[in-house]
Amino acid sequence: MVELKGVKKRFGDLEVLKGIDLRVDRGRIISIIGPSGSGKSTLLRSINNLEVIDEGIILLDGVQVNRPDLKGLAFERHINHIRQNMGMVFQHFNLFPHLSTLENVTLAPRKLKGMSAGSARKLGMELLDRVGLADKATSYPSSLSGGQKQRVAIARALAMQPKVMLFDEATSALDPELVEEVNRVMKGLAEEHMTMLIVTHEMAFARDVSDWAMFMDGGVVVEANTPDHLFSHPEQERTQHFLRKHLGAHA
Amino acid sequence: MEFDFSPVIDYLPTLLQGVGVTLLIGLAVAVMSVVGGQIVAVITLYTRKMVNWPLRFFIWLFMTTPLLLQLYFLYFGLGELILIPAIVVGVLGLGFHYMAYNADIFIATIKSVSSGQYEASRSLGFGHLRTLFYVILPQAFYRALPQLSNNMIIMVKDISVLSAIGIGEMVYVSQYAISVTFRPFEFYITIAVIYYLINLMMEAGQTWIERRAAYRR
Amino acid sequence: MDFDLMIDITPLLVKAAWVTVDISARALFFGFIIASALVAMRTSRIPPVRWFARAYISVVRGTPYFVQLLLVFYGGPAVGLRLDPFTCGVVVGAFNIGAYMSEAIRGAIESVDSGQNEASRSLGFGRLQTLQHIILPQAAGLMIRSVGVLAIILVKNSSLVSIISVIELTYQAQRLIGSTYKPLEVFTLSALMYIVIIYAVMGIVEFLYRRATRYAFL
Repeated sequence: MVELKGVKKRFGDLEVLKGIDLRVDRGRIISIIGPSGSGKSTLLRSINNLEVIDEGIILLDGVQVNRPDLKGLAFERHINHIRQNMGMVFQHFNLFPHLSTLENVTLAPRKLKGMSAGSARKLGMELLDRVGLADKATSYPSSLSGGQKQRVAIARALAMQPKVMLFDEATSALDPELVEEVNRVMKGLAEEHMTMLIVTHEMAFARDVSDWAMFMDGGVVVEANTPDHLFSHPEQERTQHFLRKHLGAHA
Repeated sequence: MEFDFSPVIDYLPTLLQGVGVTLLIGLAVAVMSVVGGQIVAVITLYTRKMVNWPLRFFIWLFMTTPLLLQLYFLYFGLGELILIPAIVVGVLGLGFHYMAYNADIFIATIKSVSSGQYEASRSLGFGHLRTLFYVILPQAFYRALPQLSNNMIIMVKDISVLSAIGIGEMVYVSQYAISVTFRPFEFYITIAVIYYLINLMMEAGQTWIERRAAYRR
Repeated sequence: MDFDLMIDITPLLVKAAWVTVDISARALFFGFIIASALVAMRTSRIPPVRWFARAYISVVRGTPYFVQLLLVFYGGPAVGLRLDPFTCGVVVGAFNIGAYMSEAIRGAIESVDSGQNEASRSLGFGRLQTLQHIILPQAAGLMIRSVGVLAIILVKNSSLVSIISVIELTYQAQRLIGSTYKPLEVFTLSALMYIVIIYAVMGIVEFLYRRATRYAFL
């Protein structure tokens, strides 16, 4: 489904991804944990090409995402098409403030897939219902709580029926009491076997929801294993050190 | 001193015609300066400096010199090249003047839309242009509304200046009436009252628009 | 471009530009006094005084400066007010900008955190002492900037007194365009002079702003 081979990324002199290999099969849920600056967000954003990688290849269903050979409009067309198959959820929601909740969800299917207003509305209401916000369809983002905003953002990403969902610290900007409602929606997606890549600092949630966990530090994958194994019996010293610090705080 | 408003009553139809001209000019200039200002802002922001420097220069020039001087230049300058009616010169002059002011606002509000909005739109699969039209510009417009409506309120008052180049709005038609009736005080007071009423209505409209736009920001 | 002509008309335009500066500076000075009075009136304990100030500000801001100018100059004699063109320009300019400036000053004063007022009063300072020692020094920066914006508007507005035949920059420019039929040359020079005046105002404002907000840079 998603495959990364030897992905490298530099910001100036700083190499933030030092050759990442990763394979995500259909229906798998993978958590990426690690300290800030470890490169985990950059990795996720690279998959969506929001960061352009310097070396390596990224594949979605066998189609190469990064295409250094394509320039200008040709690359535009290519990447817009690829992105329509990936859902991205941001730390700061990035809902469109000038559109109502329902319009936020239906904008992409209507304008990009040419869906009729009626069926877009139906789809939008279904998705809003799924994240528990059907009653907020006509509200504007400014009147929603952080947790509600993030649930709408998830519905917005789902509206394009993506093959994979990318969550970039989806609950990091939320007040603690609002984290759970977003986690519940994500768990619901996991139960429906949505392919998901989750960058998070919620260790308990990562352990609970994912079936593969990766620990990143300094631009490399230090350790990857089943969540039970990674969290209970970390093999690398850096992983042990990180988990000691964070499980203490989050447990 | 005694006031006699009966000449004003006599000339009421002429005066009202002047009011109509004022309102029509206001509408034309509003449309031209808002639409044009947005286009100028987009071109200025999304083209290379080499390409857009004339636009930046004209925005700056229109904002640092008086409207009346610009009007005289257009009136005598353009008038020398081609024969165009004064009213066209007036609408263009006022239109360009406020287009510069509005472009200045749009440039700031477009810049103020966060990069996260751009990323969210791109991540859904929207290209540059669609992101601009569906996401960036609508938000920039709502953010510009308070200053934009302020500009339009100031602009309507500036329509009175067009009388200087002979356009038949309120002040100009009154000047004719005054030359016949010798009642400047009564006529100018009447114009001031009409302007004040227009202004009150525009301020009410501004509050209404503001309230409606506030939750979309 | 006819450079000989531009050199010939420069002295005339410089002289006219000086009138523009003169009329604007005077209007600014008296406008500031009027504005201060309006701010004081708006905080008066006597309701009619407050109402008058509010109504005055609303009417002046709600009507065109140009119409105010015509009303006072041509309509003034009907109520016994006869002013020469220059004086009329200064007076109407001052009363007009005073209304806008009072709002700017009030805004600057209100921008100071209310905790400052409470802290000062709790120390035993009176209302005026608090204003003088605590509020105004903190409001000064913003006040200078917004008065500066109004000063620039005043300079540009002063072009309108050409209508009542004050021989300032725009009046002279219009006359020269009429007599030379060289709009581009005349416009370039007179625009340049407005730009010089406006940049000079901006420079002064920036200088005063830095002085008034020195405490922020220490």
